[in-house]
This record gives sequence, C-alpha cells and structure tokens, in this order.
Amino acid sequence: MKLKISNLKKCYDQKGVIENLSLEVEDIQVLSLIGASGSGKSTLLRLIAGLESFEAGSIEVNGHNVVESEAVEYRKKVGFVFQDHNLFSHLSIYENIMLVLEKVHHRNRTEVEPEVKKLLEQFGLMEHAEKLPHQISGGQSQRASIVRALSIRPELILLDEPTSSLDPILTHEVLSAVKLLAEDSIDFIIVTHEIGFAKSVADYIVFMEEGKIIEQGDRNILESPKSPELKRFLSKVLTFDGGQM
Amino acid sequence: MKKKLSFAAAILIYIMFYIFIAMSALEKNIDFSAYQSYYRVILNGWFTTIAISLVALVMAIFVGLILYLMRESKFAVLYYISEIHKTIIFGTPLVVIAIIAYYYIGDAFNVDSKFWVGAITLALYIGAYIADIYKGAVEAIHINQWQTAKMFGFTRYQTYRYVVFPQVITGILPPLAGQFTMTIKSSALLAYMATDEFLNTIKTVQSVSFRYPEGFIIVTIGYLILTIPLIMLVRMLEKKLNYKV
Repeated sequence: MKLKISNLKKCYDQKGVIENLSLEVEDIQVLSLIGASGSGKSTLLRLIAGLESFEAGSIEVNGHNVVESEAVEYRKKVGFVFQDHNLFSHLSIYENIMLVLEKVHHRNRTEVEPEVKKLLEQFGLMEHAEKLPHQISGGQSQRASIVRALSIRPELILLDEPTSSLDPILTHEVLSAVKLLAEDSIDFIIVTHEIGFAKSVADYIVFMEEGKIIEQGDRNILESPKSPELKRFLSKVLTFDGGQM
Repeated sequence: MKKKLSFAAAILIYIMFYIFIAMSALEKNIDFSAYQSYYRVILNGWFTTIAISLVALVMAIFVGLILYLMRESKFAVLYYISEIHKTIIFGTPLVVIAIIAYYYIGDAFNVDSKFWVGAITLALYIGAYIADIYKGAVEAIHINQWQTAKMFGFTRYQTYRYVVFPQVITGILPPLAGQFTMTIKSSALLAYMATDEFLNTIKTVQSVSFRYPEGFIIVTIGYLILTIPLIMLVRMLEKKLNYKV
C-alpha cells in the first residue's frame, strides 16, 4: 500500500484529537497502529477510511485523495472491520455478505456464491452461514466481519481493534484469522492493543499518543524503542504468541 | 402444571369478584332477553367497532409515518407542524377531540358520515403515538449499522431499504399491535359523537330496556374478545422478535 498523510488535524467539539499528523509509507503490506486508548489511532483509521471529515491536511491512499464527502466510490474499494463486528443484525452471516455484494457491487448471486463459500470455509464459518449474528460467538462474528470485508475484493482492509471486546480465547481465534490475511498478501492496516501480534505480522508500526505519532518504523521499534513514551507503553501491555485458529 | 393451576385459580378469583359486583348491582334477576332481541343491532355495532378500528389503524400508520417524516424534514415549518400536532394530541382527552371533530371540523369539511369522521379522528389521534413509535424504532437502530452501511458504500436509499427498514419493522410490530388494542378501546369514546359503534348500540339498548348491568357485562366481554388475542399477540411478538443487536 501507499499512504501519504500530511498535516492532518481532526477535532471533536473543538478539541483536537489528531494534531498536525504526517505519515508517509510505501510498499508495505501490513501497517499496525498502536497506542493507549484515546491516543487517536481509531480516529486516524476512520479518517483513512473516509468515514469522517477532518479540519485540515490531506490523506492519500494508493493514489486516492480521501475526502469524506466525496469518498463513496473509494469506500467501496476498502474493507473495514469494526471493533464490534457491526454485522447487520437482521441478516444471517451469509446474507450479510451477499447484501453488500449484490446491492452495492452489483455482483450476480450465483456467480459469487462459490467465492463466498470458499471464504466462509477458509475462516471456519461454513456451518454458521445461515445463523444470525446474535446466534454465534463474538469471535465468530468478528471472523464473519472479516470475511464480509474480504468478499468485496478490497484494495485495502482496515481493522479497528477487532479483538477489543473479546475474551482471551476469542481474541486468539480472531487474530489467527487476521494472520490469514497477512499470509494471503492482502494489504491491511490494523489498530490493535496486541503488541505480540503486531510484532509477528506488521511490516510497519506506528505508535501514537495524544493524537500525535511518537515513534514509527519496522517491527524492531518494538524490540528496541527509542522514545520513553513507547518504552512506558510496552512495559504495560500483554503479548500475543501467534498460533493456530 | 403448577403454573396452569395458578392461572386457573387467578381467573376464578377474578370471575367471582366480577359476579359479586354484578350481583350487587342487579336489582332483579339477571336477564339478557332485551339484548337477545336486539342482537343484530348489537352485532352490527360490534362489527362497526372492528371496522372503524381497522380503518383508523391503517390510516394512523400513514399519519404516523407522515408526522415522523415531517419531524425529520429539513424544513423547520414541517417539523413544527408535526410537533404541534403531537403536543395537542398528547395533551387533550380523546373524548374532547372527538366532540370537536364531529361538531365542528366534520361540519367545516362537509363530512357527514359519522363513521369516517370517527375513523379520521381516531387516525389523527393514534397516528401521533405511532409517529413516536417510528421515531423510537429508528433511533434504536444502533449507530454501527448506519456506519457499516456508509462504509460499504450503500446509498441513503439503500441504507433505509435494506438495513434500517427491515429492522424498524420488527421493532415496531409489538407496539403497533399494542396500538391496535388502544384503537379498539379508544373507539368506544366515539359513542360521544353518536357513532353507531359497539358501546353506543349497547347504550341504546340499555336506555330502552333499563337493563344496565347486563349491558355492561356484554360490553366488557365484547371488548375483551377483541383485545385479549391482541394482547397475547403483542406478548408473542415481543418474545419472538426480541433479538440482540
């Protein structure tokens, strides 16, 4: 992916949550945004997704100039996995995927069926395809959300703390699913608290605090952090050891 | 079994209480013969109540929708018309509205049919409550459902058609069935505008036969026959549609 953010500023109720943020990366597959709660990383991800407007600056993703009000077509090329899966609650897992493909991407149901079934199989969801979101576990819902994001064949997938509302066992299950994305060479940006996971899959890591980028670089910054903020942050977080789904 | 016995005991206590009240009120022996000879008129009144309630509810569903859409409109004048209508309805007894509607508004618009003045009055009254049911149901759609639709590139129409509307329908069914019960009960107040509905026909028979308590027994049973299935339907719908987002 190619990402260029220049002098970005975002406020909520006149309070700055992203302040003069710039970031430029190229030819990376997995970017991980880390930081404590309230550091602005989820906000940054939503801005990159074109879900929210910003006060100043610019965002360019793979050549697309992202402006919220004009980002309808851009958003169709980006998959997003929300913190709380956000599956449409009145539709089965299968129909959640089909609705997006049929109505937004105008794909033929019969044509996409094998593709969708293959994805459901790959993510261990085939037997739950006809169930409603509330009938499956949080981990399965989050995996379904990943499949839905993948099904549109996106240029890029954005994952916003996909494990934040899950217990340790389900967290492991979801992170293993996200690992499949990395193995399939799909570009994605993930906001996560799982430092061990970021270390095992990310090509590039951005550490944020109070709406600013404090430190960035390849995964080595997690081994030998330079800033006292990142050192302090790393000393407080738990780690993920990779593993199987 | 224990639950059923308790239910039967509760019914028995209630019936005994009702008989006690009725017997105390009856000066002579219980005698329904006057009502037997007028059974056709009474039955007509009962069917009029059903017809007027059904017509009023169907109209109220649309009145409620129009009031809701006016409230959500960008035009402030429509918003205020909707709010003023609701405030007047919520703050005035239906019987007062019924009398004003029949003697003045019906006259002003040259509507002579008691049935239609009654049905329209009920529709405008119940519609104000239904507008709030729509509002509550749309607001109950979790913000994440709107965000997800936006992220996946749904248009405003598609968001309402495929995401919001199906969830609103399931959300409004129980309160709508409840409103139907309300409509049937409220229709009794149309007796004040001399509409030939159930209560009014019973009152007419009472005035010629002087058999008042018997009339009240028939009227109570007549309304319960209509409302008990609806109350049970509401409970069943609430149980069936109670799923988590």
